[in-house]
This record gives sequence, C-alpha cells and structure tokens, in this order.
Amino acid sequence: MMLRLNAPRRWRLRRHGGGGGASQHSARLAILLGAAVLSLGTAAGTAAAASASSMSSGTGWVRCAHLSPNTAPVDIYLYSFGDPKAMDVLRHVPYGEVGMYMKMPAGEYTAAIRKASAPASTVPVISANLMVHAGHAYTIAAMGPAQGLRLQTLNDRLTTPHGKSLVRVIQASLKEHHVTVRAGSATLASNLAFASITPYGTDKPGQWVLHAAGGSETWSGNVKLTAGTIHTLVVLDSPSGLKVTNLMDAAGSAMMPHGGVDTGLGGTAPGPAPSRLPWLAGLTTGLLLAAGAAVRLHRSRAVPRHAR
Amino acid sequence: MRAAPPAPATSAEPGRHGRGSPRWRQAARRPLTAAVLLGGVLTMAITVAGLLVLTGQPERPPGPASAAPDRLPPQGTPAPLPKPATLTAPLPVALRIPAIGVRTRLIRLGFTRHGTLQVPNSPSVAGWYTSSPRPGEIGSSIIAGHIDSYLGPGVFYRLRELHPGNRIYVRQADGKLAVFRVTGVHQYPKAHFPTAAVFGPAPDAELRLITCGGTFDYATHNYLSNVVVYSTEVR
Repeated sequence: MMLRLNAPRRWRLRRHGGGGGASQHSARLAILLGAAVLSLGTAAGTAAAASASSMSSGTGWVRCAHLSPNTAPVDIYLYSFGDPKAMDVLRHVPYGEVGMYMKMPAGEYTAAIRKASAPASTVPVISANLMVHAGHAYTIAAMGPAQGLRLQTLNDRLTTPHGKSLVRVIQASLKEHHVTVRAGSATLASNLAFASITPYGTDKPGQWVLHAAGGSETWSGNVKLTAGTIHTLVVLDSPSGLKVTNLMDAAGSAMMPHGGVDTGLGGTAPGPAPSRLPWLAGLTTGLLLAAGAAVRLHRSRAVPRHAR
Repeated sequence: MRAAPPAPATSAEPGRHGRGSPRWRQAARRPLTAAVLLGGVLTMAITVAGLLVLTGQPERPPGPASAAPDRLPPQGTPAPLPKPATLTAPLPVALRIPAIGVRTRLIRLGFTRHGTLQVPNSPSVAGWYTSSPRPGEIGSSIIAGHIDSYLGPGVFYRLRELHPGNRIYVRQADGKLAVFRVTGVHQYPKAHFPTAAVFGPAPDAELRLITCGGTFDYATHNYLSNVVVYSTEVR
C-alpha cells in the first residue's frame, strides 16, 4: 500500500474585522489571562532556522493540528496581540487533521480551542500563547487525552543538512500507548509514548517501507524522502487500528547551487558600453572587404586582360 | 518563375555582359579577390546573425498581437477556485507576469560544471531549476532568467520593478495555472548570496524568481548582485 502523501485539507479560514462588543472584549481578556498561566510548550529550541524571505517581510508560518484521539471536533481560534481586531478561526477540526501553514505577521498570538460550533464568546476549553518570529514556522497541536488536553507549540525546522531529509514522529494513537516507527532499516521512533514527539532526525533520501508497530497493532506503507525536504509523521488511531500520516513540513532544492546566478551580460548596464564596438567593427570590416573586392573585380573586368 | 534580366546562375548563359566575359568566370580566375569578397559578405552575415541572437529577439514579441488564445485571467479578476498546495504539481511550461510584460516559455535548468545554477542560453527565455519543487508544490520553486544580453534587455529586465501584490502566473503541463502573489523583492551581492535561504526549504508553495542586478563589472563582465523576487501561491 502506498502511503498517501498527505495534502492537508484546507479549513475554512475567517478573518474577522473587529467590531467586538464589550462581551467579546472581556472574553478575550479572559483568554489572555488564562493563556498567560499556561506554559508555552517547547518554547526553547531556537534552532529553527529562519527563511530570509519572510524574515525581511516580517512574517512567519503557523499551522494547527487536532491530535487528541478522544476529543470531539473543535474550533481553533488564533488571536493576535498586536492587532486585536484580527482573529483567525479554523472550524470543525476533527481528530487527525493538520491544517495548511498560514502566513502570519510576526508577533505574539493566543491560540484557543472551543468545542466545534461553540460561540466565540464562551470560555475556551484551553488556550496557549505563541510567539511567532519572522521566518519561522510553528505547529500548534491539541495533544493528549480529552481529560488532559493540552495545546503544544512545536518549532518546525526550515533547514536540512546538505543532501539529507529530516523526519520527526508524533505519537497520537491512544489504541497503542507506545509505538515504534521504522523507515527501511532506520528507526525513527523507538517505543514512543502517547502524546510525545521525537526531535527531527536526519535521514537518507530514498523510497522506504514505513513500518509502525505497537503492542498488537501494526501498520506499513511507503514513504518517499527527497533531499531538502522536512517531514512530520503522525501516528494516529484508525478504525482498523493504526495509521501513519506523512506531512510535508517544508521543501527546498535537492541540490544547492554554489554562489550567485550569472543572469546578465551587461547590455543594459549604465556606463561604458563596449559591447557594441566589436559588432560595429565586424560589420565595417565585412563591408570594406566586400566593397574592395567588388571594386577590384569591376576594374579587372573593365581593363582588358593582357596576354601572359 | 523567371527572374528578371539576370538569368539564374545555373543558366547556360550566366551573364548579361556577353558570352565571352561572364563576371563570375573572371572572378574564378582571381581566386584571391573572390575569396575576399566572399569573406566580406560572410563577415557581415555572421555579424548580423550574432546581433540578432545576442539582442535576444523575444520569441513571442509582446504587444497587442495576442491573437493566440490566452488562458490567463485579466488582471484584477479574483483568482481561480482555491486549491491546496500539493506534493505533486505538473511540470511548469510557461511564465507570465503581466505587471512587467513578461511572457515566456520555461526551459529546464540544472547545474553547471562549476556547481552553479545553469542559466538559459537565450536571454529571452526563463528556466525552472529541476532540482527545486515544481511551482505549486509545497516548497521553494526556483525560476531564473537574464536581465539583459550583450546588447539589450533580457526576459527579466524589469524584474526589480515588481512590487508586493503583483501576480505571477505559471502555466503547467496540464494547462492549469498556478498563481503567485509577490511578497518581496530583494537584491543580494553575489559574493554573499543567501543560498540556503533562497534555495532552502519553505513550508508553503513559494516561487522565487532570480536575475542579475546592481553594478555591472566590466572587468569580469558580470553583474555583482542578484535580484530575487519572492512570491507565495494564491489559493
């Protein structure tokens, strides 16, 4: 069976334009206060390298995930500290869903989770703060069992070692509390406990047989790792047991060229324009030669040939 | 189909100057003169041909003569139906940037012997780097083109004039369009080109256009900088 390379379904995304009444304001205040109490999850790990493009444009990337097996579908809210009028909402996110990355202005955000379709004015089930740095990518995941639901912020890597692929594993299966994941002969996760995450590991590019095994349930499929790509494999409960979803976190060129790119010859550069001279010279030379020869021929025809 | 007075060269009576003194027979007896004449004409022909090639006459001249069916939506029209970034997009075949009048087919680019990015042979064509993700796939796709030839503008001559918000259209092998929105335009010295940032991984479907810019160094016949346009797919 071929592992379906997951192209996550895009959730409905709505950006509301302010207009918040007093009740909405107080709700937000409650969220912020609640969020302040909560830890930021993996806040350290500043290793994630920044992408120059979005660094200069002051944006980062955020995606949200619902990875709590026995939690009903949720609505995920993202509130911006910098722009109180901006609010992103992902609605009806079921277990196992990981959204597309959303480009967000750098700054501080609060993520909040409510039951699907619960009014935005209600107190969220859980919330957490998130600092988005320009050029960095993050995954906000609802993790753990319903009784101990938590919002965890993951720093997603955006650089790979030369010619390698990066892979990490999220264990989000409750059917199997510990799961081992292998790709070919490489072990990606060994006896990984429910609701935990491996760091990114470096892997050799190629097409591998992916194998996940818990105490009784197993799953296998194929995974293709290309140099310059970064993946997150998510172990999930499925109706038939286990399944593994392959998320493409990021992709770049498989081979990095050296240095700059020589895409100009100077014909429009200001300053001396020597490039035209050789052509004019060539044209003139040709003209002179041809004209000279023609004149000579003409003369030689006009003057009778002498006897030898 | 006869030409006017001068008979064709294959005629039994090649010249109009009488049977006894055809000009070309004379020429044949003066091989040096004939060679010089031929050489002169050849030099001119080669020069003109070189000029035409190196000025990069556009393959499809821009302008109102767009009688050919144009699948691109007019500017200002909302983008096509949203579609998610995918892991596999069709090969890119053509590029269009209405804001700066770019319209070109896309060739494939690989590596040079020196490990640098290959550039198109023709200044009037842009190329997609085959080691980068295809436009529309998750990741940073790379397209490069010349700013100029020896004599005049190349396909990306006006690339630096792009602004955030401008649209870039890539036609794919299946005829569909991937639409990108410019997010930034940056110039880097080639000596400090941020390879990892430009060619490195991106978490969404991005397209990066590269050309030359900055000062032209007449000693090495190279521009000293690169201009990179960053864009993100509109979904």
